[in-house]
Amino acid sequence: MKRYIRPVIWLLVAAGVQGSLPACISIMGAMPDLVLVVLICFSLAEDPAFGAALGFVAGLIQGSVVGMGMGSLIVTRTITGFAAGLVSTRLFSANAIVPAFSVMWLTVMCGALFQLVNPRLAGPQAVGIVAGQCIHNVIFTFVIYTVVQFLETGRKNRIINSRF
Amino acid sequence: MTFFVTLNLFQGQHDGVRVCHRELLGCALRAAKQEMSNFLRNKAVVTLIVLLCLGIVLGMVANRYSESGKSWWLQDAITTVVGPINSAAHSIAGVFDGFVGIFRSRASMATENTHLRNQVKQLEMENSKLREAAYENVSLRQALGLRQSTSFPTIAAEVISRSESSWFDTATVNRGSNSGVEKGGAVFNHLGLIGQIVDVNPMSSQMVFLTDQNSAVGGMVQRSRSAGMVQGQGADDLVLTYLPKDADVNVGDLVVSSGMGKVIPKGIPIGRVIQVVANSLAGTTSALLKPSARYDQVEQVLIARVGQGSE
Repeated sequence: MKRYIRPVIWLLVAAGVQGSLPACISIMGAMPDLVLVVLICFSLAEDPAFGAALGFVAGLIQGSVVGMGMGSLIVTRTITGFAAGLVSTRLFSANAIVPAFSVMWLTVMCGALFQLVNPRLAGPQAVGIVAGQCIHNVIFTFVIYTVVQFLETGRKNRIINSRF
Repeated sequence: MTFFVTLNLFQGQHDGVRVCHRELLGCALRAAKQEMSNFLRNKAVVTLIVLLCLGIVLGMVANRYSESGKSWWLQDAITTVVGPINSAAHSIAGVFDGFVGIFRSRASMATENTHLRNQVKQLEMENSKLREAAYENVSLRQALGLRQSTSFPTIAAEVISRSESSWFDTATVNRGSNSGVEKGGAVFNHLGLIGQIVDVNPMSSQMVFLTDQNSAVGGMVQRSRSAGMVQGQGADDLVLTYLPKDADVNVGDLVVSSGMGKVIPKGIPIGRVIQVVANSLAGTTSALLKPSARYDQVEQVLIARVGQGSE
């Protein structure tokens, strides 16, 4: 249970910051999905069950903040977190390239799932949103993953040092 | 797949081989059963299935609360936690914007200044005309013995965050049920109607912009009083639908809220007609609108109380 606290705090902060991103950075009508990026960054380093649970919490937070579509957000984020957890067991490495690639295809998967369970936009418009989000999320992954890794590695080192 | 190929290979063989065939079938079924049992025993898969079921249930509960107009404690708790982070990020973004503004070139500021001065003059003229019209209106109403019903109570609010997800055209305002905001309340500013409140929490509320795919409000052409439904289409423009085939609507006409449904107050500008499309098969006319308000620059808004100022 303890290992969920920090990722959940990160998710809450991401949800808070998400709404204050300047509109000028929009690509094809899409803004970066910081909550999704944080979810994937943490799930990549853990097992699928952890990813699914974190995805569930991410969907719950995003659904509450948006005020609409909570069910579809929870379902898509849970599956995405699970898929990210599956990646960790096979592909995870310490550099930011693998997370960036993972975020790219997981964003596409999450967008496709969302369009499947909650078809709100017309096909070309949805493709534009997913493509824009992909570009944004990959860029933000380099920043968020580096910060998360720096903070989390620093914390782990401090714990190890305190034991000796 | 291998199983079916094996079956096909054994088809048409003599009886001795048929026994082998039956054993193979049993073997394959046992293997499949074992595989399924292992799959379901996998902790991660069970977690996923349970969480997906729980997610669907929570989605249904959230929908039920949303439809009934009540606030759900779980959503309230999360928005209460995220709210301060949102406000802090908004303040930091404001400081950053101000900092960037300092570096704007002097020439562009001078141009903007001239433009604003012209706009102020124009608005002053319009204001004096409107004041004159209001006085005339009052005297006419008194003459006709009608009661004054044009004003309605509003709540001033500030947009503290927007577009929490690229899939929804929504924003969060810093006033909630504690300030008297109700679900369905019209959100507007001096330029016109912006959207509607879709979710109310004690300290904040979520509004959906008119441009959202699921947004729909009653509208009418101000000049001809032809009424229809203004719907969002997920893009920058709006569409006025369900107009009769012979509706009197022209490019440039102003569309205002109709006040039908007793939710949105009557007469709030929504947008101007930029294109009229006649659908001969359906026997209806629709009009493409350019919104009066600029949704990307919304900061200060007013929220009308539900059922106030409508017909």
